[in-house]
Amino acid sequence: MLLGFSKRTRRAPREGRMAACLLVAGFCLPAAAAAQETRAEEIEKKQAEKAANLKPYEPSKFESIMNKLEESFASPPSGFYPALGSVYSGGGFTLGLGYRQFYARQAVFDITGFYSIKNYKKVEIATRTPWHMRGPVTFGLRAGWLDAPQIGYYGLGMDTTPDDRANYRLKQGYGGVNVGLRPTGWLRFEADVVYEDVKSEEGRGSAPSIETVYDESTAPGLFQPGAPGQFANPTFIHSEGTAAIDWRPSPAYARRGGYYGVTFSDYKDLDDVFSFQRVDGELIQHLPILRENWVLSFRGRVQSTLDDDDLVPYFLLPQLGSGRTLRAYSTGRFRDRHSILTSVELRWIPNRIGLDMAVFYDAGKVTPRREDLDFNDLESNWGIGARFHGPAATVLRLEGAKGKDGWHLVIATSAAF
Amino acid sequence: MRRARNLFRPVVIGAAGCLTAALLTFSAAQAQRPKFLSDDPLQREPETQDASKTQAWEIGLTADLVLNLFTKQGDLTANVRAQNVNTIDEVPDSSWFTNRIYAKPISIEEITRGPNTSDGPAPGKWTVIRPKSAGVAPGFTIRDEKGDTWFVAFDYDDYEIAATAVIQVATRLFWALGYNQVESYLTTIRPENVIISEDATMRAHGKRRRFTQGDLNDVFRRAEKSDDGSYRVAVGRLLPGRAIGGFRYYGTRPDDPNDIVPHEHRRELRALQVFGAWTNLVDMKAGNTLDMVQTEGNRSIVRHYLQDVGSTFGTGALAPRDGDEGYEYIYEGGPTAKRLFTLGLAISPWQTVDFEEHPEIGKFEGDQFEPEKWKPRVPVAALRHARADDTLWAALRVMAFTDEQIRAAVKTGGYTDPAAEELLTSVLIKRRDKIGRAYFTNISPLTRFALDEAGVLTFENPAVKAKLAEPPKKGYQTVWNRFDNAARTAQPIGSATPSQSERVQGPSDLPKTDGSFVKVSISALEPAHPAWAKPVDVYFKRAGGAWRLVGVERLPDA
Repeated sequence: MLLGFSKRTRRAPREGRMAACLLVAGFCLPAAAAAQETRAEEIEKKQAEKAANLKPYEPSKFESIMNKLEESFASPPSGFYPALGSVYSGGGFTLGLGYRQFYARQAVFDITGFYSIKNYKKVEIATRTPWHMRGPVTFGLRAGWLDAPQIGYYGLGMDTTPDDRANYRLKQGYGGVNVGLRPTGWLRFEADVVYEDVKSEEGRGSAPSIETVYDESTAPGLFQPGAPGQFANPTFIHSEGTAAIDWRPSPAYARRGGYYGVTFSDYKDLDDVFSFQRVDGELIQHLPILRENWVLSFRGRVQSTLDDDDLVPYFLLPQLGSGRTLRAYSTGRFRDRHSILTSVELRWIPNRIGLDMAVFYDAGKVTPRREDLDFNDLESNWGIGARFHGPAATVLRLEGAKGKDGWHLVIATSAAF
Repeated sequence: MRRARNLFRPVVIGAAGCLTAALLTFSAAQAQRPKFLSDDPLQREPETQDASKTQAWEIGLTADLVLNLFTKQGDLTANVRAQNVNTIDEVPDSSWFTNRIYAKPISIEEITRGPNTSDGPAPGKWTVIRPKSAGVAPGFTIRDEKGDTWFVAFDYDDYEIAATAVIQVATRLFWALGYNQVESYLTTIRPENVIISEDATMRAHGKRRRFTQGDLNDVFRRAEKSDDGSYRVAVGRLLPGRAIGGFRYYGTRPDDPNDIVPHEHRRELRALQVFGAWTNLVDMKAGNTLDMVQTEGNRSIVRHYLQDVGSTFGTGALAPRDGDEGYEYIYEGGPTAKRLFTLGLAISPWQTVDFEEHPEIGKFEGDQFEPEKWKPRVPVAALRHARADDTLWAALRVMAFTDEQIRAAVKTGGYTDPAAEELLTSVLIKRRDKIGRAYFTNISPLTRFALDEAGVLTFENPAVKAKLAEPPKKGYQTVWNRFDNAARTAQPIGSATPSQSERVQGPSDLPKTDGSFVKVSISALEPAHPAWAKPVDVYFKRAGGAWRLVGVERLPDA
């Protein structure tokens, strides 16, 4: 009853040895206590017994593993690590391995390699500071090479079918610099300048290669101008600037806040054949309802090629169809010079720290002319999905989306928007 | 096989014999053992062994969270009486707990001062000696010009006052409740008065490196800056002794010889079900506790601190608390499944609570608060074991706070908006009263028993005293017994004595000799509170011509 005269009790498994000790104590100590005249003596005897059997604490294997994971997550060590990412949109399940070396105060030198089940591959060498790319100023340098051998192309415009699919291959070497500024918690600027050496080739995979189905009128930039049969191999200086108001708690997972941003992209072909400029505008708004029991999320995005006379190669045209645009459609299912996309999601939150569910509706179109960017004749899909997330990032997004091409399964490791 | 069995037979027979002998000895000892020993009720839990060899351990946040969230830790037996209570059902002073409010008068000055013994850090330059290693709030550890060491915690950027204020208020309340607390002060600093020790290092990316000006700038960048360029901070004094990590709310520390009561069976830890509910102390994890090896007399003992009680009321370190905190564990299968399959239409109670939010307080309310339903973020083994006698013990302490004492504690938060101060005070008062209503009525709450030389028994009904309940309509009933302490048997003295008041004249033939015992069973007969009818057994011992309270039994072992 008092101070250590414990009853015999049933212990959790990991306390087994201690339970045995207590069991013995439960039998023996009261008997011994009869010899004690005071309560204090009883307690002293028990403490003396324990003093004779002290042992250091030994964490279980589970605790040791969790402790290591915890430290690695908060401040990862230099060395090899499993890299998450993709080679190119539509590449399918991808495995990655990285090696990183932290240096200076918060900088990291990072080499990564990715390989996907569709034989997409990428290697990249990069350095950035701070390593997590959060803070008022971020800076990064990167260079790499990728090979995406079976990217789908379905022709221009909205009147295409899945049967129109042809494949092309892109190989791309690149190197560039990125600077980010967050002067306040909600204002964001970002600038990129990247040298991109692009080589297009015959596609691999089960669909026919692009040059067997399409020509330069249906796949702009298919061949080098004046060199029929020779795939386009432009080299760009790709400059991009973004200004945005972003008051989401985290871009990778948010239940409130909004993003309103404009991005200007300039693709300068060193041969001045495929140079073009594009403006993207994007609005995202999350509206929590009843203490975030539900969240209504809206997104609108417009991509527009600025000069109607510029020749934009088919592989750089604005496109819809992917796990983050029209989700019931394959990657790059619709392409043209301009695009408009709207999405709405009704999310409900079964568990605030780990699981969101959502029903969603996406609608959008691509158009050859800017004046056609309206809400008429949009292609749409709807769907339902589950998102497993942490406080600031979506870890896994599983969605089923239904559009005119049928059901499409989305497996992603990022938020839809 | 047969040979092996033969080999073991003597051992088995011997073991069985030993066990039988042990059981017989145990039974005999139990029968002979008096119920009350000469030093009952114990006022201080002895710590007799030297704990200087106790080693530091680290309880990982994630492992602690996962184990508590998805498994039941500690004793799995239900309804076990707290094992560190004395014979009058109270918690003796110990390295865990010191009886303060309710046990003795606490002045407004004492509440205001709390654990503090000085005026805070010495003026002048502060030298950063190491970064903050735990928690998400910006901070670091400094040495002041007097050489004292302090932990510095800032308000988070764009979230002024709340975090630093809550540390002050909660520290005072938990100190008054009896827990070991860290000395804590509010002050301001300017970056130009902060320098970095050449020895300051931090662990990053698996290695230890120097703590640099850039790291210091990062801390300031994450902190809320006042218009005059200064920063408001809460500073906590380094505790004396050697830090050896936190304590778990279950089991015992295997290398502390004095730690013999499983923590889930310590009443002051079980009582956090009530104190936690009152203050909304949702972040009740091992990482927010601290054990220190300290020298006491000629030996070392481990003293146990509720080191970080800053995650209380309506705010966390970085932002107002989420609405579900205090209402649901961060993961609960039932509500998760309900929400999952109903598209969120299965509304949980917290979603309709009308919080009166204030930027300096966060989400905190008392009108819809239901103390019995309060939950921390993650299940806590000690709270799972809390019984009605534990929660009553805790409620008596919460109810002992006067409005003025609560107001004085809140005042220490240094809130800049009087409305914030008023809101926090009023919510704490409302929650206090709800705790009284909840826990004074699910068990007989009678307390403060005394038997005078004239044989007049007095006691107190705290529910009636606090005007939370009417006096029992059918009054009180007492049954008097002579009690044989050695034989543990009781013999009635007369018949049951009814009384309409909390003062009862005992039978005229009460024993008069020193060393004799009486047992009085007291019931309160109020149809609205049927739990009050279950008697409280109270034991008095005659010593020096007076009666001394030696036993209170409210809720027997299961």
